[in-house]
Amino acid sequence: MLSVLPQAFDLIFTVEGLMVLTLGTMLGIVLGALPGIGSTVAVAMILPFTLTMSQAPAILLLLAIYAGSVYGGSISAILINTPGTPQSAATCFDGYPMAQRGEAGKALGWATIASVIGGLASSIVLIFAAPQLAAFALNFGPIETFALILLGLTCIVSVSEGSPIKGLMAGGLGLFLSVVGGDPLTGGPRFTFGSFQLIAGFDLLAVVIGVFALSEVLIRASQRGEGAPPLIDFRGIVLPRLAEWRGRGRGLLKSVVIGNVIGIMPGTGAATAAFISYAEARRSAPTRANFGKGEPDGLIASESANNAVTGGALVPTMALGIPGDAITAVMLATLTLHGVTPGIRLMQDNPVLIAAIFAGFFLINLMLLPLGMIVSRVAAPLLRLREAYMLVVITLLCTLGVFFVRGNPFDLLIMAAAGGIGFVLRRQGYPMAPLVIGMVLGPTLEISLRQGLIITNGSFGAFFTGHPIAFGLILAAIFMLLLPLFRALRARQG
Amino acid sequence: MKVTNLTASALAGVVLAFAAGAEAQEFPERPINLIVPFNAGGGTDLLIRGFAPHFADAIGGNVFVSNTAGGGGTVAAGALAGQRPDGYQLGYFSITVSTIQPQINDVPYGLDSWSPICSVAASPTVLFTSESNPMTTIEEAVEAIRAEPGRYLYGSSGPGAITHLTAVAAFQGLGVIDDVRHLPFQGSGPALQGIAAGTIQFFGDTEILMQGGGLRPLVVFNSERLASMPDIPTAAEIGIEAPLNELYLWGGFFAPAGTPPEVVQQLSDACGEAIASEGFQAFAEQTNTVLAYRNAEEFDAFYRAQYESNAAIIEAAGL
Repeated sequence: MLSVLPQAFDLIFTVEGLMVLTLGTMLGIVLGALPGIGSTVAVAMILPFTLTMSQAPAILLLLAIYAGSVYGGSISAILINTPGTPQSAATCFDGYPMAQRGEAGKALGWATIASVIGGLASSIVLIFAAPQLAAFALNFGPIETFALILLGLTCIVSVSEGSPIKGLMAGGLGLFLSVVGGDPLTGGPRFTFGSFQLIAGFDLLAVVIGVFALSEVLIRASQRGEGAPPLIDFRGIVLPRLAEWRGRGRGLLKSVVIGNVIGIMPGTGAATAAFISYAEARRSAPTRANFGKGEPDGLIASESANNAVTGGALVPTMALGIPGDAITAVMLATLTLHGVTPGIRLMQDNPVLIAAIFAGFFLINLMLLPLGMIVSRVAAPLLRLREAYMLVVITLLCTLGVFFVRGNPFDLLIMAAAGGIGFVLRRQGYPMAPLVIGMVLGPTLEISLRQGLIITNGSFGAFFTGHPIAFGLILAAIFMLLLPLFRALRARQG
Repeated sequence: MKVTNLTASALAGVVLAFAAGAEAQEFPERPINLIVPFNAGGGTDLLIRGFAPHFADAIGGNVFVSNTAGGGGTVAAGALAGQRPDGYQLGYFSITVSTIQPQINDVPYGLDSWSPICSVAASPTVLFTSESNPMTTIEEAVEAIRAEPGRYLYGSSGPGAITHLTAVAAFQGLGVIDDVRHLPFQGSGPALQGIAAGTIQFFGDTEILMQGGGLRPLVVFNSERLASMPDIPTAAEIGIEAPLNELYLWGGFFAPAGTPPEVVQQLSDACGEAIASEGFQAFAEQTNTVLAYRNAEEFDAFYRAQYESNAAIIEAAGL
């Protein structure tokens, strides 16, 4: 890898290459910040423009859009409590409370630095260990994936402290919503009540935008006149001082590792990584008591993990030629269009191109910092709109975003219903995060469990024997579940 | 109420007058919408976006591509079925969307919902195993399966997908369907990872997948051997009987049933011209797309025959 770097730099440091990196990253940030336009849609939107480019810039443009959009999602999560993409839902938990108490600039500062570090770390891992990690990823079959998702689900407990019962109910509702639609293993309809539209299930994005953003709009609107909270005061990113990082390094490192590991596995993704990393930080961080009230450690956990996923996802894509998700599949399709055959020989056959892609990916992550500051400075005046206008703008953005993804008017009904139900539930004190966690993790949980049972001929016991990784993860999940109980007992004794 | 009715009938009259006027003019007098039944950015989307400009040149009008995703393509087909059959909306549907889904799911369209326009692409499918597996031929594979019934797994990209049907056609045709087990994945990517990891032993897809490496073809579902793998037998050669012996991942354009014959003809001719164009041929070569043009009449007959013959595979798959 290192020996071909000089040739790789020749591919990157061209006028076209540098323009693609800068403009692509910036565009990615803007698209990611717009609610609804997630990373997949952003990458797909840009794809036609890459057809006329040469190999390296075409892939770098898609990568810039990808990394930029994962970071951009945090901007709207923090400033208007609307995750631009499901993967920044966990960023809302502490980002928005910080913004509400007047520290929006600082919250974005933490999120930006965490994103940059997460992305840079994952690109270093990619450059030095892609083939080895890809081989390791193959150890992760359906049974291991099931155990990992089970561990992820325990974060429902940690994000609903205060009212665990309500949290579990919301999580259960999320899991239930995820089973509506075609059965992933037999194709038969479930809970569709004869509605053809429901065969496709509830669109995750429509529900996420409904329960987070639309319900927030409704809550704001209903509070008018009875002392509505002041609008977010934001004048640009305020970077955290070095001294403020004291004691946060371990949590950051842990989140980066979680993001990388989850990224290299098929069928999971940035949302899962952000939730698991957030839950782990909430379990172990010295500041855990402040989580959910605007604690920077929560922001760091979510944002460093979801950006670390981007590099991780490229590991099996580039090292094995096997895409783990829709975004990496688009990238492989682009390579094919440019005459590069994806596959297990991709890295051996095209060392210079791959080195250019990896090095370019490092630069993209580095550029998130200055470009993030520029984009949020430009966006800042928008937030100074009068609240009534702001609510209209948010509603409009949500509607456009949800419709844009699948072009299906039915999704708008889903969004509206989710908004109404979210409004009622939130007023009754039900947290919405567990609902989204249930919906994000539900499909993978179900498929991996049922695939695992097919592999073991229906024996759940066989999940524990002969699958040490899965066994370890399930033990960890049980530990996470029981931890609050232990803590409560110890507190009572002390 | 009366006023409303009056307004409505007046409006209807105006619309009719316009419609009549429109028919007198040349088709197309407004942009034609090509509907991709999947998200933007996938393989089908790419193909249609590459096709659109050449189709626009051939038809002499504007053409735009839109995406309606969901339900493995059935949401778009369900929305298009029963729309005004004026030839301005064409859906690009695969073998699965048009002939499999209506027979296994409760979708709001069926055999007679369409005026087929033209077929664009068709790739024969191939059953693969991993290069790390000891079996090198289909005969050895059948032997291994018979020796240890229930041990081997075949993967698919989802129930009812072409990947599923390929494996079913092979194992049903060879009489060992009850001795192998099916493990569905969410898409071909995870299934390929499954075969690389050894979770599954068999997977069926088009020949394009072979380029990735690490896979060993066992049998080809084509009428003759493929030029790229001359040593691999066809399904018929190893005793798989019709209709299970040929399976193609094909796709083509469909308009709602009842589209005027002259419009169908015009669209079908333009489709052929676009496919034959130098630009699209080059595009197809770049993307490894196997082009297979059928005009409206041929495609209609092909589509109906496929609908019938796929019923046998669907039954064998237990869908």
